[in-house]
Amino acid sequence: MLLPIIETANLSKAFGQQKALDQVNLTVRPGAIGLLGPNGAGKTTLIKCLLQLQPFHGGSVRLLGRDVKSEGREIRKRVGYASEQDCHIPGMVGCEYATYCAQLCGLPFQAARQRAHEMLDFVGMGQERYRKIDTYSTGMKQRLKLAQAIVHDPEIVLLDEPTNGLDPKGQVQILELVQSLWKVHGISVVLSSHLLHDVDRICDQIIIIARGRVLVHDTLQNLKSRRRGAAEVVVADRQSELLDLFQRNAWSCELLSNGHVRVEHGGLNLNTVLEAMGTIQLPPLEIIPSPNALEEFFVQALESADGN
Amino acid sequence: MPLHDVHYQHWEGQHLGIWHRRAVIAKQGLKACLQVKWMRYIVTLCWAGALLQVIVLFFLGQLLVPDSLIVQWLGNLNPRLQNIARGLMTWLAEHPEVSVRTTYNLLFYYFTSNLVTFTFIAIALAIPHLITRDLSSNAIVVYASKAIGWFDYLLSKLATIFGLMILTWLGPVCVAWFVGNLLSTHWHFFWHSRVALFHVLAYAISSMMVLSILALGISAVSSKARTTVSLWMVLWLLGNALVPIALQTKPWLKHLSLEHNLQQIALTVFHLKEDFQIAQNNIPLLGQLLRGLRDQRSFALENPESAGALIGIGVLVALSLIVIARKVKPE
Repeated sequence: MLLPIIETANLSKAFGQQKALDQVNLTVRPGAIGLLGPNGAGKTTLIKCLLQLQPFHGGSVRLLGRDVKSEGREIRKRVGYASEQDCHIPGMVGCEYATYCAQLCGLPFQAARQRAHEMLDFVGMGQERYRKIDTYSTGMKQRLKLAQAIVHDPEIVLLDEPTNGLDPKGQVQILELVQSLWKVHGISVVLSSHLLHDVDRICDQIIIIARGRVLVHDTLQNLKSRRRGAAEVVVADRQSELLDLFQRNAWSCELLSNGHVRVEHGGLNLNTVLEAMGTIQLPPLEIIPSPNALEEFFVQALESADGN
Repeated sequence: MPLHDVHYQHWEGQHLGIWHRRAVIAKQGLKACLQVKWMRYIVTLCWAGALLQVIVLFFLGQLLVPDSLIVQWLGNLNPRLQNIARGLMTWLAEHPEVSVRTTYNLLFYYFTSNLVTFTFIAIALAIPHLITRDLSSNAIVVYASKAIGWFDYLLSKLATIFGLMILTWLGPVCVAWFVGNLLSTHWHFFWHSRVALFHVLAYAISSMMVLSILALGISAVSSKARTTVSLWMVLWLLGNALVPIALQTKPWLKHLSLEHNLQQIALTVFHLKEDFQIAQNNIPLLGQLLRGLRDQRSFALENPESAGALIGIGVLVALSLIVIARKVKPE
């Protein structure tokens, strides 16, 4: 059993009368963790409290097994952070900045410079690394933020909206890099985002937060299994025939705008759907189990929070 | 596996300590300051002042050599100056322990006081590079998320401005002391001038500490460079303008002038009253010249208002610390 990387107990933070975090209790194991929530839910505040960028008013926080209040500096040596907001050291060029950030975490200059170039390669920055950061596009700044967050080889990286402002191609590249951090290199990632698709794609644990409270904390697999019974079926043609079939089985179904057929079959697996399709000899091109499960779960969680 | 993922390797080395990280920030700050063209001019001017001081000390040393070119040259000048030089020569030869100490003390007071003006200009140029730009670019968040604390950050920034003042103030005077003594005719100049050097160190280091805290405080007031630089200029120039006004209105007003307060501290530390007396007694002609000067400024020279100056400085430092505590935060 892997030791928890994040532990909070009754973590509370308020801005005046507004509660940003309300008795947050979390025990998070290593992995790729998606921190989901609507705007203003408390995601960024939670990350900042973990890093002591903001003081918290109640409770306790342990990161990588250490108390952040007493060992904050030592912890940050092993943690990387890329903030949502645009932040850099003015007047520096990209590689100089990454080197500087590595030195701030205690790397000697030679090692820092070498790793800075390696990480800039890793995030896909070319010759632009020799340009001043002030001249960078949003995409380049996002890449640089990721590079500075991992330049000192942390054990955990906290990324706050890392795909903001990126074009679709850039988003895919950054998400692939982030995904590889955990899957290939064993660096835990906390990805804060309001983009469910990003989280669904790369994370294996989900934390849904709203109004400063943790609504859901589970693995993505468990969440999806709770939503079993729905599927999206892709067929080459004969969609209307398929809809008739599903209706005959008393399954709720609809034809989606992309030509896929969505069905709520209610079964634990897809065997019933496949068997039914076999009866009319209609082979599926693809079946996507539990499509939009995360989205549905997210909406459901928010609704329950609103109800409360 | 992504296309770019070919270079990532875990780092196995040993992390360097906190003092190294602090030094990295201080060094980077100093580098940023020296990238400003005008800053380099100011630093060059300060070192030109050091060179001038070395030349003066060299001339002083040469007065002990009867057949030196300096002595011959002075002989060709007007008789009054020649008499002063002879008096100084005799004094240096007969009582080097007193004469060297006194002469160096007066010279160092003069140079140290003059370099303050250049240092004030240097601080004005450096202020945006201390905290102001870190606030405007959110670099403060970058620092806060790394393996350094709030105190480390401030200490490093303090070291930056302190380092800059070593370049513009303490460094030139100390190097001038060393090189000037190296070029003098006797090694005992090093020993006899130790008190003067101590005065320089005591005054310059304490003043640099005060100025560093004030510079940090003003730098933290706003994220706009124009605002913080203007504030420094107002504190400096408006404060100086208050001194003549204070003489005719309320005397305490002059302690709102930072430069005036530092001047009072300098007069207290260098003990000029005693030195002037000794110089007058030993070189009568020089004494006459100095008496003219003393008539104008005797009260200020002999009775520095150190208590008022310390209170004035204390208030400014306290305000500065409050600003730093309130403003220097990641959010």
